[in-house]
Amino acid sequence: MARAATTSDVFNAIAEPQRREIMVLLRAGERPVTELARELGMTQPRASKHLRVLREVGLVRDRKAGKQRLYGLDARGLRPVHEWTGGFERFWSESFDRLDAYVRDLKQARQEE
Amino acid sequence: MSATGRGGSAQSATADREIVISRVIDAPRELVFEAFTEVRHLSRWWGPEGFTTTTRSFEFRVGGAWDFAMHGPDSTDYQEWISWTEIAPPERIALLHGESRDDPNAFESVLTFEPDGVATRIVMHTVFPTKELRDEAVEKYHAIEGGQQTLSNLAAYLTEIVRNGAEG
Repeated sequence: MARAATTSDVFNAIAEPQRREIMVLLRAGERPVTELARELGMTQPRASKHLRVLREVGLVRDRKAGKQRLYGLDARGLRPVHEWTGGFERFWSESFDRLDAYVRDLKQARQEE
Repeated sequence: MSATGRGGSAQSATADREIVISRVIDAPRELVFEAFTEVRHLSRWWGPEGFTTTTRSFEFRVGGAWDFAMHGPDSTDYQEWISWTEIAPPERIALLHGESRDDPNAFESVLTFEPDGVATRIVMHTVFPTKELRDEAVEKYHAIEGGQQTLSNLAAYLTEIVRNGAEG
């Protein structure tokens, strides 16, 4: 099966570590590409390329602010990522809730024996 | 795998298709481990609240299997098949998780049990073989979860991200 294009699949887009680093920086707020490039030690064209990919999958939005263009997280794009981890993680989180209650009871029962 | 490679590259090779879940359970390690070894224990806690299991067969050994059905609160049945690939009491269990014996979509989870004071930390590391298989598992777990709680969780998560973004 053909791999989905990086620019159309959010999971492929965030599989690239530098793009995840950009998203971590953007969690703190909007930034211009020059700052992102400097903090991550990459060239500005490279940072711009990553931002373009993130924007095309809906993870990042941009707006003009005076002479600058500011990039920020677009939380809507994270929805499929969260839904993916949320379902599986929640299943196990709730199972482990029940496990915790069960082994506590078991511990108490054995102490009383 | 070479140990001299960049640490990041080894991680990123599976980062987009793995899930790590960690949890502290308030009981000694031997007891927590035991709760994974017998069906009379497993059937008491496996699955979210409201779920029950019916076991067809259970053989806890490497190469053995747990063949069972899980029943959801809406009375939907899910066929489950688990096979153990490693058992190291009381530290580690590795298992394959699928819907039937020869399920090509089965995925592997490694559970480690570590003492955490008088409690026990469980770390469950699941790696899906491919992105496509991961997506199938996701859909399945979403069906199982029903969606409502996932959505409320999502809402809280998005609110947090939006707030963090606004404060920056």
